[in-house]
Amino acid sequence: MPDSSPKSDLPQGTLDLLILKVIAVQPVHGYAIAQRLQQISGEVVQVPGGSLYPALHRLENRGFVKSDWKETETGRDAKFYRLMHKGRSHLEAQTANWRRLAEAVGVILNLAEEGTR
Amino acid sequence: MTWWSRFWGRNELERDLDLELQFHITARISALRNDGLNEDEARRQVRQEFGGIEQVKEQCRDARGTRWLESTMQDLRYSLRTLRKSPMFTVVAVLTLALGIGANIAIFSLVDAVILKYLPVERPGELVQLQYRTPDTSSESRTFANPVWEQVRDHEDVFAAAFAWSNKDQLYFTQGGMIRPANGLWVSGRFFSALGLNAAMGRLISDSDDRRGCPAVAVLSYGFWQDHFGGEKSVIGSTLSLRSRAFEVVGVAPRRFFGMEVGDKFDLAMPICAKAIFDTTKFQLDDRNFLWLNVGGRVHPKMSETQLKSQLRTISIGMFIPPDASPAERQYLSKMALTAIPAGSGTSRLRSQFSQPLQILMTVVGLVLLIACANLGSLALARTVTRGKEFAVRKALGASHTRLIRQLLTEYILVSSGGALLGALLARWSGALLVRMISTAQNSVFLDLSLDRRIIGFVLAGAGLTPLLFGLLPALHSTRVSLSSSMKGNQSSEAGRSLHFHVRRWIVGSQVALSLILLVVAGLLLRSFVKLVTLDIGFDRNNVLLVHTDLQAAKIPVDRQAATYEEIESRLSALPGVLSVGRSMITPISGDLGMNTTVRTEWTKPSTAQRDFGRWSDADKKFVVYQDWISPGYLPTLRMRLLAGRNFTRADIGSSRTVAIVNQTFARRFFPGLNPIGRAYSEGAAPVTSVEVVGLVEDSKYLSLREENLPTAFLPHEPSDLADRDTLELRTAIPPSRLIVPVLTAVAEVNRAIPLESHTLADQVNDSLVQERLLAVLSGFFGALALILAIIGLYGTFSYLVAQRQKEFGVRMALGAEPISILALVMRDVITVLCAGLAAGILISLATTRVLQQMLFGLTPRDATTMFLAASVLSAVALLAGYIPARRAMREDPMTTLRQQ
Repeated sequence: MPDSSPKSDLPQGTLDLLILKVIAVQPVHGYAIAQRLQQISGEVVQVPGGSLYPALHRLENRGFVKSDWKETETGRDAKFYRLMHKGRSHLEAQTANWRRLAEAVGVILNLAEEGTR
Repeated sequence: MTWWSRFWGRNELERDLDLELQFHITARISALRNDGLNEDEARRQVRQEFGGIEQVKEQCRDARGTRWLESTMQDLRYSLRTLRKSPMFTVVAVLTLALGIGANIAIFSLVDAVILKYLPVERPGELVQLQYRTPDTSSESRTFANPVWEQVRDHEDVFAAAFAWSNKDQLYFTQGGMIRPANGLWVSGRFFSALGLNAAMGRLISDSDDRRGCPAVAVLSYGFWQDHFGGEKSVIGSTLSLRSRAFEVVGVAPRRFFGMEVGDKFDLAMPICAKAIFDTTKFQLDDRNFLWLNVGGRVHPKMSETQLKSQLRTISIGMFIPPDASPAERQYLSKMALTAIPAGSGTSRLRSQFSQPLQILMTVVGLVLLIACANLGSLALARTVTRGKEFAVRKALGASHTRLIRQLLTEYILVSSGGALLGALLARWSGALLVRMISTAQNSVFLDLSLDRRIIGFVLAGAGLTPLLFGLLPALHSTRVSLSSSMKGNQSSEAGRSLHFHVRRWIVGSQVALSLILLVVAGLLLRSFVKLVTLDIGFDRNNVLLVHTDLQAAKIPVDRQAATYEEIESRLSALPGVLSVGRSMITPISGDLGMNTTVRTEWTKPSTAQRDFGRWSDADKKFVVYQDWISPGYLPTLRMRLLAGRNFTRADIGSSRTVAIVNQTFARRFFPGLNPIGRAYSEGAAPVTSVEVVGLVEDSKYLSLREENLPTAFLPHEPSDLADRDTLELRTAIPPSRLIVPVLTAVAEVNRAIPLESHTLADQVNDSLVQERLLAVLSGFFGALALILAIIGLYGTFSYLVAQRQKEFGVRMALGAEPISILALVMRDVITVLCAGLAAGILISLATTRVLQQMLFGLTPRDATTMFLAASVLSAVALLAGYIPARRAMREDPMTTLRQQ
């Protein structure tokens, strides 16, 4: 269903991070990643195929994830991605960076608010 | 997956990708349908959300990281297909480049072998050769006497290893009863070890072999071992008879080693101390005036150049001064100092002889390649225009300019590579031919023309740079193709067309200029050569066989000399086919330095000329006269004309009065304005001899064809120490080569031990022209080649230009223009281009042909006749090449043309 809340365009690094996180929970295929991201973020994060699959392939080339063809519950074959050791370390490092950054941005934004009061 | 496996497995990865995306789309469609949408709406929505599937695939492909290689492979396949579809272009291009690049490779191989290559020894960069300068001359001398070498050898501190070797020594060895020549190389004990060489069999000369009083041992060169001993192992320990002395063969040198002189190869190497075995009256190892050894050394790797220089200067002190020197000698000789020059590429007389000719030839073939590239450039440009539609379609499909250019360049690189490979093959075949051309009858050249890094690099550079030379412009032009007009079927837009015309005219104009330069160069060199060959040399060189004898090698004593020679001469004159026989010490244009002395007469200023350690001072050069000792048969045999007086007779030999026959130059200088017959001159110094002139002979060449006539005096032959290696001249009625065997037999009947060497006088004279001949033949060949290429280029371009303008001509004629005016129109174009090209060519020629100065004879570099001839030939050819299409144009029926358009 087309949704009314504004969609946000994600910078590439952030998209990679989110994808890795979803995969970290359990091995999933591409469609499931898109679905989950949409669901969890409450329709805010919507990843079109054009960004998702190139990102997935890039992550695979860098050795962060590995893909295998497996059968889904419905009996069809899909390409499942699972997180590798390298990917886990990258995820942890980038997550820490992101939190630090978000905190700092939040502090600055709060400051500015008080100044204009 | 690694990058490489991603590249090779890309087909599978493509299928993979397709399935993965299909899964996503199908799943989303199902989800939407579950939400209540119908099939079509669901599909439409998914397409919107997903984005274009092909674009996504492209992005995933980019993410793979193997794109650049994949597109290069694509380009290659596409280029191969395109080239196959236009076989004419491919064949013409490959052949043209094969000729152009091949010529460059052939000449460069020669340059590499003669000038650049290192000797096949260990760490050649560390080797140096010693030389010294005598105080009052400006030239360096590189030959040392043995006592001086021994002093260098004993200074172990300066070099890691010091060694010495002699120049080529013509020896004779006996095999199977026949006496054969061999090239001998005398080496010091540490020669082979200093060069880091190991024996191919047996052992090499070592330090212990080179002590005074050593036994006679010899090392064979690999080639000599193969040729004369069949590569048999049994040769080790066997005895070789050299100039009637026994030498024991102890080993064979490594295969690739040919000696220190590039262009020669040695057959036998012997230790220096063994030279004493051939001593007759002098002890050659102790003689300080006998300069015969080259000295070299391997420098310590850590030693710097300045250190080496100062070390050499230190050890030079006193080195050249013999113990019994007078104070004047001591002072003179103490000024001599040693210097070192790099010797990694060996020494080479060939190098000094051919350095300049080879440079000239490299320029010539470079010009040929440029002209060939110009042709190909035109061709490629025309093709680009024809393929306009193809480029338009590709651009419409999203090809970037870079992609188009890259693909076209790939095509050209393919063509160039093919041409370079074929050219390399051609060069290889012609290699042997070229070496033969620089060989002479007396000195066959031996060169290692095998591939090395430099040649391979040159070939690769040729294959890589030529496509840029001829293809860059057409490739850039392809991007200017206007989409709309191409699709409509027009060849190209108006702006593009006129640019194209201009470019092609420029290309043809530059071809004309380059061809003119080449033709001028070829013309100058050819005419010089012809002048040299037809020069009046003062004697008749044809049908004369020269037979060089060595009575000393046969150990014939001096008092038996005259009788031996007489017998030989009478036997030879009795041979059928021999018209007359003469004998002399020196033959003309022999490459020897000749014999000279100083002369005084009443009519010249008195000179106190003294031979100061071997060199004349400039003031005394006026009184230097060249000499030769001849038999009475010499002048008639060589057909030298006596202008006054008489020839020698047998009575003159051994008489108390010294007589001489002088040439015109001598008479003019020493008896100006007078009849020299009957007059006397004084010759030499301490003792001074008075010589009476009995004959006047016309001028003839003595040392070289290029010399200004030298004053020469001919004296009758006396038996003496120096007269044991005379040459006999035989004038023959049949081709001289047919008499070689009868001559050998006849001399063997007199004395079997006399070694002989024979060649014709014509060959001897021609040998002196080897550089000029090489230049004349090759520049003539390449000049003709360039002319053909230029004609093809001119004809092709003007045909094309005329065809393009056919519609315009049709309209003109329909509007009432005379056919002649069409012809005039086209020819005006041709003439403009021709004149521009000629002007440029002439200007460049005038500026640059100066470098040819040294190689020319009888011509100045700016010779007007040659330039005029070259320009005329080129103009005639160009006008014809333009006239044929022009005539076609004017003959076309305008109605047919207009209807076609």
